[in-house]
Amino acid sequence: MTTAEKVAIPSAPGVSDNADAIISIRNLRKWYQVGGGFLGFGNKIFLKAVDDVSFDIERNKTFGLVGESGCGKTTTLKLLLGLEEPTDGQIFYEGEDVSQMSKASRTEFRRSVQAVFQDPWSSLNPRMRVRSVVGEPLEIATTMTKGQIATRVADLLTEVGLNAYQANLYPHEFSGGQRQRIGIARALALNPKVIALDEPVSALDVSIRAQIMNLLVDLQEEHGLAYLLVAHNLATVRYMCHDMAVMYLGVVQESGETEAIFNNPMHIYTNALVSAALPSHPDIQREEFLLPGEVVSPIDPPPGDVFMTRTPLEVDPNHKWANERPPLVEKEPGHWVVETPWSMASDAGLKVELSGHAGA
Amino acid sequence: MAESTDTAVKEKDEISSEAVSVDTDGFGASAMTEEVVLSVKDLQTQFTTRWGTVKAVDGISYHVKRGETLGIVGESGSGKSVNALSLMRLVPSPPGDIVGGEVNLNGRDLQQLSEGEMTEVRGGEISMILQDPMQALNPVFNIENQVGEAIKIHQKLKGTALLDKVVDSLRKVRIPAPETRANDYPHQLSGGMRQRVVGAIGISSAPAVIIADEPTTSLDVTIQAAYLRLLRQIQQEEGVGIIFITHDFGIVAKMCDRVAVMYAGRIVELSDVRTIFNEPLHEYTKALIGSVPKLEEKTGRLPQIEGQPPLLYNLPAGDAFAPRSTLEFSPEDAERRPPLIEVEPDHWVQLSKSSCADFDKYAHLMPAE
Repeated sequence: MTTAEKVAIPSAPGVSDNADAIISIRNLRKWYQVGGGFLGFGNKIFLKAVDDVSFDIERNKTFGLVGESGCGKTTTLKLLLGLEEPTDGQIFYEGEDVSQMSKASRTEFRRSVQAVFQDPWSSLNPRMRVRSVVGEPLEIATTMTKGQIATRVADLLTEVGLNAYQANLYPHEFSGGQRQRIGIARALALNPKVIALDEPVSALDVSIRAQIMNLLVDLQEEHGLAYLLVAHNLATVRYMCHDMAVMYLGVVQESGETEAIFNNPMHIYTNALVSAALPSHPDIQREEFLLPGEVVSPIDPPPGDVFMTRTPLEVDPNHKWANERPPLVEKEPGHWVVETPWSMASDAGLKVELSGHAGA
Repeated sequence: MAESTDTAVKEKDEISSEAVSVDTDGFGASAMTEEVVLSVKDLQTQFTTRWGTVKAVDGISYHVKRGETLGIVGESGSGKSVNALSLMRLVPSPPGDIVGGEVNLNGRDLQQLSEGEMTEVRGGEISMILQDPMQALNPVFNIENQVGEAIKIHQKLKGTALLDKVVDSLRKVRIPAPETRANDYPHQLSGGMRQRVVGAIGISSAPAVIIADEPTTSLDVTIQAAYLRLLRQIQQEEGVGIIFITHDFGIVAKMCDRVAVMYAGRIVELSDVRTIFNEPLHEYTKALIGSVPKLEEKTGRLPQIEGQPPLLYNLPAGDAFAPRSTLEFSPEDAERRPPLIEVEPDHWVQLSKSSCADFDKYAHLMPAE
């Protein structure tokens, strides 16, 4: 198996240099052309779903991407999985640039990064028995015999909390939570190193969510897995993620260690998300503020800071960051934020206090 | 705070012309009064399936006061949505049937009304807001048409009187320039505006009770927050009672005055929201609340409830939750269905030894065999 030349992974704002990263995303962009540029004339109009995103997914840890609809978190996940091709930027796996890899290395990479999707109903083929659902990756990607596959499937099902005999059943014979377990078993089949989790519990009943989250945490420990978690529920992110990034219109606004961010959210947008989150007890009276306007579409955004159009603070149109994209700045160790005169919650008096509640 | 510069005028929600609306008092005072507007007694709804009779709602009783938000919490199969359909008599029949109980709204038992009378009540005195307010609007009709539809049917208005009422409803949900907005089509409105229109439809006939069935499930966090705020505003202004059906305890904590927890078609605990959070008595309530990760602090290992909700056509005869309870199983709960008892003032619990750690404290309240 030949390997491409290992190049040093470029550093980027928002990423510490000493991370033990299994996946490194650098300056990733995904632009979709949605108009203009007819026959080479005129300005092309782009939907900039992901616009210069950099982060590391560390070995054995979970990295969370949060943001609202249209922020680019799901597109980022798809780029990692190869379901979309990047317009620009690089993805490094184990130090190697994926786009420069040999075919064999690329195959290895694809096997090592698996996915669990949000909807346990549509993510399993209803016409395949569970043993085929979980065994399919093995049939395609390995030279295992039918017998070996059957044994492996049985082991996987047991590992995710199901029974081996259930391999014979069809997905519709299971509940939502069980189907998600089947999806997880399928993701584990090829012994991946990284699993991308796209809202893995939001479609499940409340009492089942804890089961699945705990299962994922246990599997992470047992197999040394790294996770990329895309979620909109901040409490889920705080529970499962070691590090996270808050995205808005395809650009990371704040990133770093999860605890650092929740203990001291700096960006106005992060504070807005946190303040809008539901409390965990009726006595928690959190200050809630709603930003003016709605999330603007990522089509043809202005050249400067994407948050310009949503901030309640005054924006000086001649300021550098009104015309150029501002970078992430490390404001405290392990905590990065896009700092402009109009992005800091402390300047706007909009800092949210997240406090626990002593009752119950 | 200055106005934000914006390059996408179409998308800007004109409502907040002030820069940021900040709410510091959590959510405003409760609007609950003492007047009971809806009273449900021993409601039973069943479905006949080829696997047997499914007792989707198996004898539940509760009431809603004017200005109160009652949360009905449960998971899939708990019966919470069938309960809502039963109140509105929208249970598909066959295979479903409301086989027992009373639904008293403003003094009338809805179960006794003729279909014609019920049609007047539906969308009138009692209305329903469905999941996904974004999809609830018909894209080929303008706003005036959609908000006016309910008003036309229930209040028999026409022409300018109808338009006036439509504009009035839009104004109540804080849609600016409602006269012009009435002519717009849903796609011309921002998401937040569409939510408000759905709210306007819901209140257009000044209902006594609004049933909101998981209306925020698919919404972004900030849009959900705005929507809940709107519902609360409407409640404070109109004094309407809201039945909020949800599985999300965050919504319960934020919105609800009182809470009924449902499991397998029955209510297992019913009390005011603080009691439910601070002193839950039923193991299911405790476990459910405990299994939700908290945003406010770093949660250690999340406690989980083992097993799954039971299949409704195969319900155990006695305590349906007992198999999943971490307490020791008491044999008498295998056969005897535990009764819902008011163990403390306004705190009801389905008292069973297998599912209530404090059973012995309240055992004397059990009715004689």
